[in-house]
Amino acid sequence: MDFDWSPEEIAFREEVREFIRTEMTDAVKGSIFIDTPARVEFVTKMARRGWLGMGFPEQYGGSPNPFPLAQFILNAELDRSGAPIIGKNVGTIASTIYHVASEEMKMEFLPMIFRNEGQWAITYTEPNAGTDLGSLQCRAIDMGDHFEVTGMKHYITSAHFCRWHWMALRTDPDAPKHKGISIFIVDHDTPGLSLSPMSTIGREGTTHRTNQVFFDKMKIPRSRLVGEVNKGFYYMMEALDYERFAILSFASRVRRYTKIVNWYKNADFNGERPINDPYTRRALARMAARVEVGTMLERMAICKAQYEVPAVEAAMNKAWGATIGDEFAQLALDLMGPFGGLWGGEHSPFGGGLADEHLMAGHARVAAGGVDTSKAIIARRLLGLPNALGKPELPQR
Amino acid sequence: MDIKLTDDQAQLQEIASKFMDKHCSFDFVRKMEKESDLGFCRDMWRQFAEMGWLGIMVPEKHDGMGMSLLDTVVLIRELGRHICPSPFLFTSVLAADVIAQVGSPEQQAELLPQIVAGEKIYAFAYQEYSRFFRPEHIKLEAKKSGDKYVLNGSKLFVEFADGADTLLVAARTGEANSQDGLTLLLVDRNSAGISTKHMPTMSRDRHYQVDFSNVEVPGSALLGELDKGWEALEPSLHKAVIAFCAYTNGAGFEMHGYATQYARERVQFGRPIGQMQTIQGYLAQMIMELYGADMLTMFSAFQIDKGRHARGYVAKAKAFSADTVGHVMDVSSQIFGGMGYMEEQDTTLYLRRGKQYQLALGGTEYWEDVIAEEIIDREPVVLT
Ligand SMILES: Cc1cc2nc3c(=O)[nH]c(=O)nc-3n(C[C@H](O)[C@H](O)[C@H](O)COP(=O)(O)OP(=O)(O)OC[C@H]3O[C@@H](n4cnc5c(N)ncnc54)[C@H](O)[C@@H]3O)c2cc1C
Repeated sequence: MDFDWSPEEIAFREEVREFIRTEMTDAVKGSIFIDTPARVEFVTKMARRGWLGMGFPEQYGGSPNPFPLAQFILNAELDRSGAPIIGKNVGTIASTIYHVASEEMKMEFLPMIFRNEGQWAITYTEPNAGTDLGSLQCRAIDMGDHFEVTGMKHYITSAHFCRWHWMALRTDPDAPKHKGISIFIVDHDTPGLSLSPMSTIGREGTTHRTNQVFFDKMKIPRSRLVGEVNKGFYYMMEALDYERFAILSFASRVRRYTKIVNWYKNADFNGERPINDPYTRRALARMAARVEVGTMLERMAICKAQYEVPAVEAAMNKAWGATIGDEFAQLALDLMGPFGGLWGGEHSPFGGGLADEHLMAGHARVAAGGVDTSKAIIARRLLGLPNALGKPELPQR
Repeated sequence: MDIKLTDDQAQLQEIASKFMDKHCSFDFVRKMEKESDLGFCRDMWRQFAEMGWLGIMVPEKHDGMGMSLLDTVVLIRELGRHICPSPFLFTSVLAADVIAQVGSPEQQAELLPQIVAGEKIYAFAYQEYSRFFRPEHIKLEAKKSGDKYVLNGSKLFVEFADGADTLLVAARTGEANSQDGLTLLLVDRNSAGISTKHMPTMSRDRHYQVDFSNVEVPGSALLGELDKGWEALEPSLHKAVIAFCAYTNGAGFEMHGYATQYARERVQFGRPIGQMQTIQGYLAQMIMELYGADMLTMFSAFQIDKGRHARGYVAKAKAFSADTVGHVMDVSSQIFGGMGYMEEQDTTLYLRRGKQYQLALGGTEYWEDVIAEEIIDREPVVLT
């Protein structure tokens, strides 16, 4: 058992830190839910270093993996500094293409992703299919050389600047619900596709915008079907295991925690110093232990990832991370008294940034297979309990 | 970085697990609770000695195995799974380590091999009438008189005080209400003037009040330097605390396993209760906490083994493991329904211990204060 980073891991981390020091500007910082030209440019610079395609074969534009934990170290450092992380494009889309798509599709899309050309939207959610993705209804009708789609999706982040959609649609309405879904790559400029903006409660420039996406007799060429028809649900679930893990590095939570401790140490309200208050000291201490547990569960997941897809560990990571994120945002505002409610202005600690965090913290508990869904995964896959949503499974005697 | 157990650790774990399965049944634990005077079993202690466990942390030159704290954590977690009653923690972790760290060459040469051979059992006489675990709260007085010390005062929660040969006593020799001015003394349990009173607990274990009335101990009882007792004790205490966390984590894992098994089998409303999402949510939450506590405990042991400043990690591990074991024993019992509270039900052995473990060796609040000192009053610790 060795909890220390190896010399090569440390050397790589230094390289990443140096890159961030040189390339990171204020314009690059921000939320993982939005993209700006500055963020795209930053990712392209990483792509030039071969950091997006680590572990994928060179014929697809990949680069050798320096060592098993390289991708994790890269993401943790990016996350720690508020830079864009290597998220869904590589974690969800490239991984799935690499594992299931045709040779042609691999050659077309993988090099593009690894060069960071063209942004992607993940286009799954529908009004009647959120957590229960298997019940999505938007149809893709097989017309021979193409599929025809009429319907809508909502909450689609990045759709207003994306080049491609990674889209789940129903291809067999008569099959059991998990066995009639397929994944397609859809060009955003396809005739018949249109958008309507939706606003989150976050402030403009943070997590403000997401989208409804409408389809009216939209045609998808057959060549853009990913892998096999009607296998889409399974592709999505496997990719979610990666995504839960890739998108939710714990480093940013540690960074936020450290930031609030620094604020707390210096805070002075007309001579009243929070650091002298035993109640809030203990509350912060308690949170420190819970944050540290997050880093431990993350370590467990990444160490497992060296050998296999860490499905259970990723679910723990997700559940713990989202829970702590929510609790932490509450605590941070509690510590500030009434000033915690300020959304900017003179007396607002962090310019209202923590209020923003609080507003969207609950969402992390729900998105990408939420806390409750993750617990269901732990219950089934680790503890061997029967599926709560299935038929009664009586014990065998 | 790789968190797999080494082959040696995996082997130790397997041996310990098999031994415990065989020798530390629920019947055995109940017998220790009800019938034994000592609360532990001398035969088992001898077997521990034969396997070398009692010297797991003792340097090889004093007949020990010279293994790391992380190795010890792997071993003691198995003892914890079986809630094995034994003076292992205070003898082979705490006393052995303080003696190895601050004992004189003569003390080391004499006392450490005795521990390894299972000839001497130590009890830890520290806690007094205080809600916390702070050295400032220690009042038991040791007055120097010639080349002797005379002890007056009371210690509480001294586990296995009646079965022990030696008491590791933290006594006040200097300035009052301070971390300074404490001295460690190795006091013969049979010294004149010592009397004990059993303190009944939920666990039905053997905790004692130990009263000292003009107890005279020779100058050679001094362990480490006069008035520097806390400095001598604290690093070893951290190791004992981490070992204790491993023990309680082990107990938590075991109880969680019983509850999970029961949830698979117990049928209500035409389905196993483990198919109900609420029950799944409880079990999933608890297993996350257990993994977290376990990893944090091993991580702290690793940092200590590397000789790094680990006070903050130890405090986090203890605060979190304590809350976890309390929570796990409580909620797991509920999964058994009414049976979870019946005397004949074996899981109640765990329920009776959960809260007590949580409050032992400094409860959550005490360790939260330590965390706060580390993250607020020291330079900001960069969480790695
Ligand atoms: C800002 C934002 C960005 C998003 N970006 C995207 C995107 O880019 N692409 C995309 O496809 N989607 C996206 N989503 C959608 C997001 O993934 C869904 O909101 C999420 O899957 C939940 O679905 P829902 O909103 O329909 O809620 P529901 O599924 O209706 O859930 C309602 C509540 O019920 C709970 N629940 C549901 N099922 C269970 C269960 N089995 N057990 C216990 N509790 C359960 C949920 O946890 C939740 O608390 C985004 C959403 C937001 C708010």
